[in-house]
Amino acid sequence: MNWIYGAITVVSVLSLVAWVLSRNPLLKRIFKWSFWGLAALLIFSFLHYTLPQTDIVRIVGANTKRIDFGENSFFWSGGEVGNATGGATRDIFFIETIQPNGRPLVYRNEDTGWGWPPYFKLNSFNLQATASSLISTAEAPKWVAIQHYGWRNEFFTIFPNALSMRQVEGPEVRIVPWASIIILAVLALIVLLIWRMLAQFRERMIDPMVEKVGDRIDEIDAAADEARDRARGRFTAWLDTWRGKPRR
Amino acid sequence: MIALIRLWILLLIGLPILYLLVRTFARSLEREKLEKRWDAKQGPGTRDEFVARGMAVYSRSLRKKLLWGVIIVPLVGITTLVYVLNFT
Repeated sequence: MNWIYGAITVVSVLSLVAWVLSRNPLLKRIFKWSFWGLAALLIFSFLHYTLPQTDIVRIVGANTKRIDFGENSFFWSGGEVGNATGGATRDIFFIETIQPNGRPLVYRNEDTGWGWPPYFKLNSFNLQATASSLISTAEAPKWVAIQHYGWRNEFFTIFPNALSMRQVEGPEVRIVPWASIIILAVLALIVLLIWRMLAQFRERMIDPMVEKVGDRIDEIDAAADEARDRARGRFTAWLDTWRGKPRR
Repeated sequence: MIALIRLWILLLIGLPILYLLVRTFARSLEREKLEKRWDAKQGPGTRDEFVARGMAVYSRSLRKKLLWGVIIVPLVGITTLVYVLNFT
């Protein structure tokens, strides 16, 4: 799976290079849009995968299944915090749920620990116990708001990771995504800070330096002209004025 | 365990660098503000003296000490998150 991201990243970097280097205006425009499009796709999909989302579902099972990681290992966590890591096979908690529209949705329940994404989830065992206690039937449903990150994709056998859950009144409860709002606001602040810092650095350091170098070049130029004029004598210099060459 | 050590190394290196960058940025903003203030009024004293005096005041100010928040806020934030997300 991660090769798809690798490929998109490589193509987007290549488009950036091609955009900068190409001379043909049509090609330049194509490469420009392909770069911005791919960059937007990468950023959007990264945020969509990583930011928390909340679903309201009915839990029907909380099980453990052994998983042998394959090409989808990118989409599984590294194991519980205190346990050995990096194995190719592990027992994983799954939370099986039914959505209000009747369709199934299965979550995994793994520690994110101290790694990425930084949810610092250490309590997957406790969360599994909570999930077990909230199992309900279609006749007497208990609706549960599950906060999670990640995607369910049947083609790669990947599951969203449940972060927390709480019982709610019903499937129509309105949930404000505070966590995403705060994270996006902090990200926007960081981008703004970096942008302002670069602008300040340019204004206070680069521009004066460029100006100074420019002044110095002008000085050297002027000095050279003067020296040349002196060497050629005043008459030749005067002749030069008739050649339409500006006298400095 | 490796992941925890990695996180600590990242924080121990990343946060001081971030602090130094933000401190330099804030000093630059302060200096620019002082220079503009002197340019507007053409006084008091010489420009360099005025800016130097203003920067000395700034380096003792609360505003500058608050920049330590760049290091403190993430550490407190992570600790709070670990508690809130796992033990409440």
